[in-house]
Amino acid sequence: MIQRPYTVLLIVPTGIGAAIGGYAGDALPVARAIAQVADCLITHPNVLNGAQLYWPLPNALYVEGYGLDQFAAGQWGLRSVHQNRVGLVLDQAIEPELRVRHLQAADATRATLGLNLTDYVVTDAPLGVELRTADSGATWGTIQNPDSLLRAVEKLITQAGAEAIAVVARFPDDTGSEALQQYRHGQGVDPLAGAEAVISHLVVRTFQIPCAHAPALSPLPIDPEISPRSAAEELGYTFLPCVLAGLSKAPQFVTQRSYASSESELWGDRVDAVVIPETACGGSAVLSFSQSQARIITVRENQTKMQVPPTVLGIKAIQVTSYLEAIGVLVAHRAGISPAALQPHIAPIRRLFV
Amino acid sequence: MTTHFITAEIDLQESPVAMQQAIEAELQKRGQPLRWAVTDVNVEQQKAYVDAIVTSDVEISSSVATV
Repeated sequence: MIQRPYTVLLIVPTGIGAAIGGYAGDALPVARAIAQVADCLITHPNVLNGAQLYWPLPNALYVEGYGLDQFAAGQWGLRSVHQNRVGLVLDQAIEPELRVRHLQAADATRATLGLNLTDYVVTDAPLGVELRTADSGATWGTIQNPDSLLRAVEKLITQAGAEAIAVVARFPDDTGSEALQQYRHGQGVDPLAGAEAVISHLVVRTFQIPCAHAPALSPLPIDPEISPRSAAEELGYTFLPCVLAGLSKAPQFVTQRSYASSESELWGDRVDAVVIPETACGGSAVLSFSQSQARIITVRENQTKMQVPPTVLGIKAIQVTSYLEAIGVLVAHRAGISPAALQPHIAPIRRLFV
Repeated sequence: MTTHFITAEIDLQESPVAMQQAIEAELQKRGQPLRWAVTDVNVEQQKAYVDAIVTSDVEISSSVATV
């Protein structure tokens, strides 16, 4: 009998100031390490996107957050692909020079990486992105013209045959803000992340198609004190390359489960373990998986602005200090070894009375 | 369509599944939930605090709902 693939879901929620993964794709080393001990890693753009930097992982599935929530709830499955034709939406608010930069980035991924892109669409109105921070410390945002975004996506799907959607929205330049300075120095919360999630969630919810977002911003003045965790976003004019690379092989969503579902389809009941920052257990996906056979592994070192450890919501979890320890738990679980057996003291077996 | 940020206070439920259902039921009253998370829990008051983005075809106020 063929063993079932060991499948791990790695979540670092966007826009909550995660110490690891709250900056410029800085949870990517964690994903690379977990991909070495799992047959299949499922994770999301916030983990894998490092602006100009990315790392193709053959056994990783790049799944946008709304799709992940549906996958976790058992509503949607994932169907792996060899290639997607990626359609590009550009916000009408992007200035001509900045638009050219993004089109050149898109062409570069075609010529240098061999990606398959459709023709692009410019929205029929400025999207009007506005950024906010909640009292909880999480960032969020709204778009004034979501219908314009959805019309552009529909055109790419119906007329250009796009199978995945990259959106570039013009985000407000906030060069002097304290939040941006902190972010560039590896502290605080990504001021853009919450609004980015709103854009991609909207597209995925409406069209059930892979989507990811890159913000268009004016170049920032050079700062020699940039944190290594944020430095990937200082390398060029756009954050688009990682998005196009990720989407080019992102799994498609399957909204109907059939008895004859193929081996290339994956549903939530095949997930063996979920790895999440300890204080960020209040998301939909974790609540869904808390009722499944999947092990929930929470990582204390990855502090966030959230204050929801697993115990307060009644979630049974294996609580570890670091991602290195989490990887050890994954290896033991995969091997069928109880983590307790690797500790110096083991309590004797006890009798249950009937 | 419009996008809105809302917050909600939800009574703690006996299980994670019941918590999820209570949150989604409350958010449905305010629009179509797009993204949400419990951000804090007050165990003494048995309340969970939720941040959410919902979409709506009508203008709604960005306010706090208590359940």
